[in-house]
Amino acid sequence: MSHPISDEVRADAALAREAVQERALRRRAGRRKVARRLVTLFLLLLPAVGLRLFTAVYPYLQTIRLSFYEYNPAFPPERFVGFENFERMASDPSVTSSVSFTILFVVVSTMLQLILGLLVALLLNRAFFGRGLVRAINLIPWAIPMVVAAIGFRWMYNAQYGIINDLLRRTLGFTVAWLTNYWSARVAVTATNVWKSTPFLALVFLASLQGVPEELYEAGRVDGTNRLTAFFHITLPLILPQVTTLGLFMLVWQLASFDLIFTMTGGGPGYATQVLAYAIYQVAFTGLNFGYASAISMVLFVVVAIFGTLGVLLYRRVEVIY
Amino acid sequence: MADQKKISRREFLQAAGAAAGGLALASCAPLPATPPAAETKATAPAVVEKKTLTLAIQGFAHDAVRIVLDEWEEKTGHTVELESGPTTGQEMVTKYAPAFQAGASPVDVMSDADDSGPIFYRAGWIEPLDGVIPQETWDDFPAIFDQQIEVWHSYEGQRYRVPHEFAIGYTWHRKDWFDERGLEPPTTWDELVEIGKAFTDPPVWGTLEAIKKPGLMYVYMAYLTAQSGGEIFEFDEATATAFQFAHDLIYKHKIMPETALSMDYTEQNEEYMNDHVAIMRQWPFFWGVARGNEAWYEEGKAEIVPPPSGPAGPKSWWGGWGFSVPKFAPNKEEALDLVAFLTSAENAPVLAEGQSWFVMPRKSIMEAMGGEGLVPFMKEYVDAGVPAPRPFHPKVAEAQSVVDDVASLYLTDQISLEETMERGKERIEALG
Repeated sequence: MSHPISDEVRADAALAREAVQERALRRRAGRRKVARRLVTLFLLLLPAVGLRLFTAVYPYLQTIRLSFYEYNPAFPPERFVGFENFERMASDPSVTSSVSFTILFVVVSTMLQLILGLLVALLLNRAFFGRGLVRAINLIPWAIPMVVAAIGFRWMYNAQYGIINDLLRRTLGFTVAWLTNYWSARVAVTATNVWKSTPFLALVFLASLQGVPEELYEAGRVDGTNRLTAFFHITLPLILPQVTTLGLFMLVWQLASFDLIFTMTGGGPGYATQVLAYAIYQVAFTGLNFGYASAISMVLFVVVAIFGTLGVLLYRRVEVIY
Repeated sequence: MADQKKISRREFLQAAGAAAGGLALASCAPLPATPPAAETKATAPAVVEKKTLTLAIQGFAHDAVRIVLDEWEEKTGHTVELESGPTTGQEMVTKYAPAFQAGASPVDVMSDADDSGPIFYRAGWIEPLDGVIPQETWDDFPAIFDQQIEVWHSYEGQRYRVPHEFAIGYTWHRKDWFDERGLEPPTTWDELVEIGKAFTDPPVWGTLEAIKKPGLMYVYMAYLTAQSGGEIFEFDEATATAFQFAHDLIYKHKIMPETALSMDYTEQNEEYMNDHVAIMRQWPFFWGVARGNEAWYEEGKAEIVPPPSGPAGPKSWWGGWGFSVPKFAPNKEEALDLVAFLTSAENAPVLAEGQSWFVMPRKSIMEAMGGEGLVPFMKEYVDAGVPAPRPFHPKVAEAQSVVDDVASLYLTDQISLEETMERGKERIEALG
């Protein structure tokens, strides 16, 4: 038995259908709008992403690939050698020595730069006559190009007529063959590097110190703290994120140091002051041995990754949330 | 407020797409054909397109080269721009290899070094010069050049570079000091040691050689090895003798300062011109450097004598720079013509008179310059059989680095002589 459908019901059904269709149309239009936006977004980002892929990702992937090949354009063709380049590195004293000196150079330099930079910043944060001039003078080493500084220091370290040995001779009665002895050459290049970059750190620390609220020191004074306690319990914790960030930055940045070593010692005596970046340059650009140079680059990448990861973990521990 | 017409996203995408498409199509379109001169002006003579070439050569040689270039420019209608070229073979490789590998060249003609040239020819980046350089130019080089041209300027029977420099390490001494003491310049290693001891009284040293890494250490070790009769890349016994002698000069006889290990040529020259050195080996450029220091120089202060004899005689290795044309030179045909012109027997003496760097024992130069400048000493060296061939290795730059490294380790007492020879051999073998 069938029930007759009233016109009213039919009309309701038609309205409902229309509403559904309209909703579907609206949804479709909405989806089209989203799709159009995504396309626009993609097109707008494409040049930047493409450029980045071309200049960073492609070379990186190519370096990984080349590290498994013996490739020298003067001696074609390139040949797949598997892990041979990496095996060769393990017994190549120029690489093993470069790895150890790179780590030593970067860690010692960064530690000294942080400590000295902080000390200089604390001094420059004090009120004294001529502070502006002293702050400007502080920046001079940073403003000098590294190559110029390296040449200048090479002359200053000269055992015969260098100013450093002249001072040593006059005051202590002895001289040091700075750049020809294993350890003294290492000390000399590290000291020059510290001298060059400390002002930059001091400048950044100075900005951080000026951001520490004065009320905290006043409160500390009320509680009877002395300067030393105030430094360790107020100043240092508050600027620790900047110290960590800069420390991480300097660690990673200095891992690729090249110009100082190239100009000052050429990696010598022997391999005493050879860093990884210099070793890569030597292998890649004196002999065009791109395969082996790529393998050494991978080692540098691993060292940078380790330092970077440790730095980020450390940063998370000291992050200050106001 | 003025009406601002808004651009819809659709319009923007359409416009961007049209622009990109247009650019793509334009780049694919053939270049508009240049009508031949005869079509444009039926009666006018054919017009040669004037081109601008780039010649890369060390800055100090520009003035001398310019004199010859003016004539070529006038003859051909082309223009040549001079660019400061690298000063070492290593720099040559660093600067040009990336461009060459990408199939491009920033220069048309270049002055190229011994330790970069062979790498470039092997890689197929240099244009062969056979059939470009006339035989009379090659005939202008004396027999002493034959082996050098065969080894350093050629590859697989084809010539790629024309020498324009004859670089040999000369022995310079303070004749005034020697005369004062009634001494004769040393003719053997033993005499060098004895005389060196007589002069050494720091800061004055018997002898000095800048042996900073990289590069300079190799130069001196190869020099001593030529005198000891060794094959430096084989790290043979005679090479060990040369290394030992260098070590003894510093630590046993103490007639050469330890600081030489960190010196470059500028410092070495300064030491000599500060009256701190009695005798030294230096490249020909010191002729100009010494004479250019007018406040210091006077006759007798920088006189050339034959090198002291080692077990193999009074030897000094020689090499030099030459002109070549990159395969990807933008104006290759004109560049080849320019090299032929620059190196001709007519122009070689003009270059040599303009700058001592171009002085070579080429017949035309010796004839034109007679007894001028370095020429008599060059002749004396050649006649005495002093020039020794530059040690060759197919991977010369890497092989030189090996010598640099192990010699530096040995001369700073980081490894023994035996270990030095072993490591050297191993690393040279590893080069293949």
